[in-house]
Parts: sequence; C-alpha cells; structure tokens
Amino acid sequence: MQWSVIFKREMMEYVRSIKWIWVPIVFFIFGIMDQITMYYLPKIIDATGGMPEGAEVNIPSPPPAEALFMSINEMNTLGILIIGLLSMSLIAGELKSGVYELVLSKPVKYANYVTAKWAALSTLVLASFFIGLLAGWYYTNILFGELAIDKFLVAFLVYGLYLLFFITIAIFVNTWFKRPGMVLFLSILLIIFVNIITSILGHFLTWSPGHISSYVSTYLFTGNITTEMWGTIGTTIVLIIGLLYAAVEVLKRKEL
Amino acid sequence: MSLMEVDGLTKAFDGKEVVKDLSFGLKTGTCVALLGPNGAGKTTTLRMLAGFTHPTAGTIQFDQQSLTTDIRQYVGYLPQFPTFHTWMSGLEFLVYVGQLSYLTNAEATDRANELLEKVGLEDAKKQRIKKYSGGMKQRLGIAQALINKPKLIILDEPVSALDPIGRREVLNLMMDLKKDATILFSTHILNDAEEVSDELLLLHHGELVEQGALENLNHLDQTGKIQLNFSVYPEKLESQLKNLSSIKHIKPVGQGVEVVVSDMDVARIEILQLVMTKEWPLTKFEQAKTTLEDVFMKVVNS
Repeated sequence: MQWSVIFKREMMEYVRSIKWIWVPIVFFIFGIMDQITMYYLPKIIDATGGMPEGAEVNIPSPPPAEALFMSINEMNTLGILIIGLLSMSLIAGELKSGVYELVLSKPVKYANYVTAKWAALSTLVLASFFIGLLAGWYYTNILFGELAIDKFLVAFLVYGLYLLFFITIAIFVNTWFKRPGMVLFLSILLIIFVNIITSILGHFLTWSPGHISSYVSTYLFTGNITTEMWGTIGTTIVLIIGLLYAAVEVLKRKEL
Repeated sequence: MSLMEVDGLTKAFDGKEVVKDLSFGLKTGTCVALLGPNGAGKTTTLRMLAGFTHPTAGTIQFDQQSLTTDIRQYVGYLPQFPTFHTWMSGLEFLVYVGQLSYLTNAEATDRANELLEKVGLEDAKKQRIKKYSGGMKQRLGIAQALINKPKLIILDEPVSALDPIGRREVLNLMMDLKKDATILFSTHILNDAEEVSDELLLLHHGELVEQGALENLNHLDQTGKIQLNFSVYPEKLESQLKNLSSIKHIKPVGQGVEVVVSDMDVARIEILQLVMTKEWPLTKFEQAKTTLEDVFMKVVNS
C-alpha cells in the first residue's frame, strides 16, 4: 500500500518530466545505431570518396549474433552512463533539496522508500532497454539475417539483470552521499571496478556479474546457457538483494 | 497529563555539544514556544524530536511510551525551510503524504481538501507548487504537517520568513490548532512566542536556561520597570531618585523617567514617598509589564 504510493508517485514524476519519452527514445537509438552504421558503411565510404580508383571496399557483413550484440555493447557504455544520470539524484537529490524532511517525517518505512524508488527506476530502464534491444533485433533480422526470438529474449533477460545490478549499485551509493555528481561518479567507478576485477581474476570469479555481457555474447553465438551463466545470474541476484538491504540499513542509521 | 517527556537530551556534532542535557515535558493541549537566539540549538532539538537526528544521549518518551515505536505517525513536522516536489500540485502533494501516513486515497483526498480550505489555499490547490509564493508554501507546509491528525505538531520557525500579513495568518492558524493538538514551535521572535504560547522553553547555547508559563518565569518577579511622568519636569529629579536603595537604573523618557528597580514592592513605596515629600507634579505612575524581551535579553546577556 505505502510501497505502491511511492512507486506511483515516482512514475508520475517520470511522466511529468518526460522521462517516459526521452529514455526509451535514447535506448532505441542505442539499439539500432551500430547496425545501421555497419550496414551503410560501404555506401558511406563510397559516397565520401577518398578511396583510390579501382580499390574495392569489402567489409564482411557480421553474423546476426554479432549484430545483435552490438546493441548490448552500446548499452554497456552509453546505456550505463544514462542510467547513472537517471539514478544519481533518486534519493541523494531528495536529501539535498530537503524534500525528505516532509516525506520521511511521515511514518514511511525505509525499506518501502528505497525499494519503491528502485523498482520505479528499474521499470523505466528495463522498458526502455526492451524497446532498444527489440529494435536492434528487428534491424538485425532485416539487415544481417535471421536470429531466433528466444535469443533476443534471453539476451534481454540476462543483460537486463546486469542493468538492474548497476541501478542497485547507484541506489546504494545514493544513501551514502548527498551530492548527485558524487553519486554518479562513484556508481560508475564501482561498476568499472567490478569489471576490472573480473577481467583480472576472471578465472576464479567465473560467477561475477562482470562476465554477464561476455556470457550473453557466447550464448548468442552458441545458443547454450552454460553453468557459469547460471552461476553469474545467481550471484547477481544475491548481490542485488544484498545491496538493497544495505542501502535500507544505511539510510535508517543515517544522520539526516 | 504529559504528552512528551524529554530527559537529558544531548546532541554533539564532532564532539561539540550543540544541545546540552535538555529535560522538559510537554503537557497535552498546550502550545509551547522554544525560544532562543539563532544558533541556540532549536532546530537540532526539534529534529531529534521528529526523529531525523539521533540523540547522543538522553531519552524521549511519547505518550508514556519510550521511543521504540515509530512516533512519526503521531507527530506532524514542519521544517524551517519546507521543500516540496514542486512539479506536483498542492492537492497532489497533500494526498501523497496523506497516503504515506496510511490514509486511503479517498480519506487522504478528503483530508487534503479540508486542510487546503483551512489554510486558505483552496483556490490554488490545482496549481503546481512551483508557482506558489513563500507564504503559500509555508501554509502548505503546515497543512502537510496536519494531514494525519497528529497529537503533537512540531513547527520550526513557522512565521520567521513571512511578511506581516502571512505572519498574522499563520499565528491565527496556530491559535486555531491549539484547540485540537499540542504544539511545539521554535522562534526567535519574542512577540510571536508571547502571543500564542502558553509555556516557554528558553534555549541559549544549547542549554535550557528558563522554562515554564510566561507569567511564572522567576526572572519576572525580581526586577521591573516603573514609568514616571510629570507635568513639569522636577529639578534634580534624577539625582534624588538615584539615592533610593531600590533603584538600579534611570533613563529619561520625554516628560519623565523610566526606572529599573530591583524590588518592585520596596521601590513603589520609596518613590511615592519621595514624590509626596517633594510635592512633585506626578501625572503618571505606571508599573511596566516586564516583557519577554526583558527576560530574553537578561538571559542572553548574563
């Protein structure tokens, strides 16, 4: 009841601040950008010229699995940045502006406050990611050859989990710092840290969330969901729950 | 009956105590002013009572229960600078905080409309808060503090930032609220405290230096002011008065003098006797009411 009140208010804010329009559009562009450029690259090179007479432009067309993965690659960089921007003032902004004084002087359960905000942002991001990846899959099919719909769905679900993991990191950082810029910086630093540790100690940390995108890539090529991938999914879910719990506890104890 | 009992409340930031060992009780149905100059620790005290800041030491008892339960459902709090989600309308915001206080949508809407009328915002209720003036925001802030019919209303400097009209409106509103709830409000404006409060807590450098009903404050009995006016200003008035044992200070004011006395009863007799023996043309003898300002200045300067 109280949870859904907060969730609905967040949604209302996303509607009023037209986030429900621009975020899906941005993710849509990320989803199709690479496929379109890749497809038209030979024509672009032709048109702009500069190639010696008689030289043949021969860029091999990527297999469909690789083409779809290009969408995910965009999410991995620009998408993460956008999510960081969306989440940097989710709680920190309210602490900074002082709105929390009115909201948290009501008998609001901290767990409701944190998880409802988390869920609202997750809904926006996952919906936008779905649109972006769907568009990427559609263009892959048209331009580079057929790719089964279950490949798209599994890629959406598994990589979506990685995006949720990042949102949760950002929410956790939100409860520590009041300055949105600081929150953005630290959230991105943390996710980069997870990825660096994973690539250094990759052999030991086979279940690290940092592997998700490479596992998704393997899956797109082979179609097999490996044990490591299940392990990673499990770890990521556990980490998400743990970070949410920690965020609630930090906020509860915080000197507001 | 006591609604809230505070015992030994202390708050230190980085080892520096900003609130020191406060103990006081709030009686049900009273309006209590927490008075003190800027930086006395008023806001910190109120934030501890509202649950935002954790006391370094001390206990707060509410309604005979210690603070294990969530008192936020019984308390309405107005911060010094209320900030809203300004993209919401006044009505939407009130319904939102009402629902956060476990009212249903319908209950919250009814209550919000009732409060908007009470604070005089019914014409602006559909407007975005962004467009509200300072006074309107303050009134909306009071409305949101009342949404869950709190037993205790805590208002941090409710009138300090308002113009005279806004101030009058809010003070009248507070008079009205006194009927249903206990109010604790902070202010550094003495007139406001004098006007609406039944009791005072005087805070200075984080310490509670004076408390009680306004008329019982013990500083008031000791000293006083007497205003004397004469139709013709007597010669050697001041030097004659100076010889009286009970008079501490003399200040010429217009056609007479204002004297500060140490003991009112002695001074009254001494002065009147002097007037009669010298046959001074006395036109006015007025025992000036010691105002809160006198108490305040006395405490702050001592």
